[in-house]
Amino acid sequence: MLIEKEIVDEETMKRALTRITYEIIERSKSMEDVVLVGIKTRGIPIAKRIAERFRLLEGIEVPVGELDITYYRDDIVKTDKIVKPQLKFSIENKQVILVDDVLYTGRTIRAAMDAMMDLGRPLSISLAVLIDRGHRELPIRADFIGKNIPTSKEESIKVQMKESDGIDRVCILKHE
Amino acid sequence: MKRVLLLEDGTILKGEGFGYDGDTVGEVVFTTGMTGYQESITDQSYNGQIITFTYPLIGNTGINRDDLESISPTCRGVIVREFARVPSNWRMTMDLDTFLKQKKIVGLSGIDTRMLTRKLRDSGVIKGTILNADQDLEKALVKLKSTILPINNVAQVSTHAAYPNPGTKRRVVVLDFGLKHSILRELSRRDCDCIIMPYTTSATEILNQYPDGVMLTNGPGDPKDVPEAILTIQQLMGKVPVFGICLGHQLLALANKADTYKLKFGHRGFNHPVREIATGRIDFTSQNHGYAVDPKSIDKSILMVTHIEINDLSIEGIRHRQVPAFSVQFHPDATPGPHDGNHLFDEFMDMMDVYKEAKNA
Repeated sequence: MLIEKEIVDEETMKRALTRITYEIIERSKSMEDVVLVGIKTRGIPIAKRIAERFRLLEGIEVPVGELDITYYRDDIVKTDKIVKPQLKFSIENKQVILVDDVLYTGRTIRAAMDAMMDLGRPLSISLAVLIDRGHRELPIRADFIGKNIPTSKEESIKVQMKESDGIDRVCILKHE
Repeated sequence: MKRVLLLEDGTILKGEGFGYDGDTVGEVVFTTGMTGYQESITDQSYNGQIITFTYPLIGNTGINRDDLESISPTCRGVIVREFARVPSNWRMTMDLDTFLKQKKIVGLSGIDTRMLTRKLRDSGVIKGTILNADQDLEKALVKLKSTILPINNVAQVSTHAAYPNPGTKRRVVVLDFGLKHSILRELSRRDCDCIIMPYTTSATEILNQYPDGVMLTNGPGDPKDVPEAILTIQQLMGKVPVFGICLGHQLLALANKADTYKLKFGHRGFNHPVREIATGRIDFTSQNHGYAVDPKSIDKSILMVTHIEINDLSIEGIRHRQVPAFSVQFHPDATPGPHDGNHLFDEFMDMMDVYKEAKNA
């Protein structure tokens, strides 16, 4: 039987994203060249929500890119259907903040960094994630973490967001 | 016993005395809370003030053992419209009258508190005295006008020596400007290892405790009357995460080149709506302050405003741009009042963890 346990509710998610926003402001010398790049499905709404907080707090519009990293994955055979991803803006000399929902093995982020390097030469790349669940397979760490959730490899994390799932919450799934 | 309230502008309001029998002088303020008179009376932020309760019936649940916010309250008087002579509550240990006698606080009932509050709203807070009705009121008025209220409010209520409030997790130095016990309760609930220190403690002495964070508490009076603390805060910022509440918030602002001013009649009550700017979320908050941070004085390259009051758009929360330091004007510790802001203590815990991790990385 699959047991589902809610570990982050709507309020907690809201606060985690607000805190990440403050931390980005705290650690960025200048907000002018900051761009957010949301990774595939749920990194995108998270990046958009952070951008919305920047708008309310600072009155600035931070560009939000949408990145599909499929082309750079290390576990698929490349076909003609899979094309290199593009962004709507240049990342040349920008402080790129990659945004994803869950940081696990680090392979997605490796792929995303490859994508960034192919697209230009950013000033810096940092990483913001809603959940860090551990078990890295690559030397990668997040700069901004919503919540650290120690997990076992048998468990999985399900992130749901209003934009795609109609509800804001994070669950931990475990087979009994 | 007949007693009168005499205000600096010559207003005389006659009423019936209760509590301690004596004369008292202070700044007359009003609070709009409907409950929680015990917490308010024992809140040291009311040091030197005479509290008017706008809620018409006060004392109906007596005084209990658990809700005290200080051991020796220092407000100067309590004004109510009606004092409940027959209180009832399962937690009650004594009635308000007995409590005020014990703590030597003068009470006055039978006052038209609506009229008094309206007056305070129009004129701003004002000096006043409560005295027995048989005295020469003209002489008393002359005396009242010449009375200069003390400005060493914080010195009166801060602890004189450091003491611990042990826990097993994060080490927090609590800089005491007249703390409410509920701040310690909230830190204890999160198992913080607290050391409460006098407000005159130097930054070096504080850092010698190797704290994970420093808490600046609430307190009475004008933040500009405690310049030594401003210097201490400046020396602490960047070396340790800082969280300020109420007076602590005003001091953090002053330490970052912002200015404070005196509000006409202050914010005292538990129904103050505050907007968190980043999310648009509205929290109802418990407040008790007579001073506020001047929005025009904020240097936007140093501080950002994180919370504003809905009613008068005054600043309710700030955050430093470069170093881990934030503060709120309202009371996230509530007591009395809504617990909407309680999560700010968790934010402080997160801030300490993130700072520690970044330092060790």
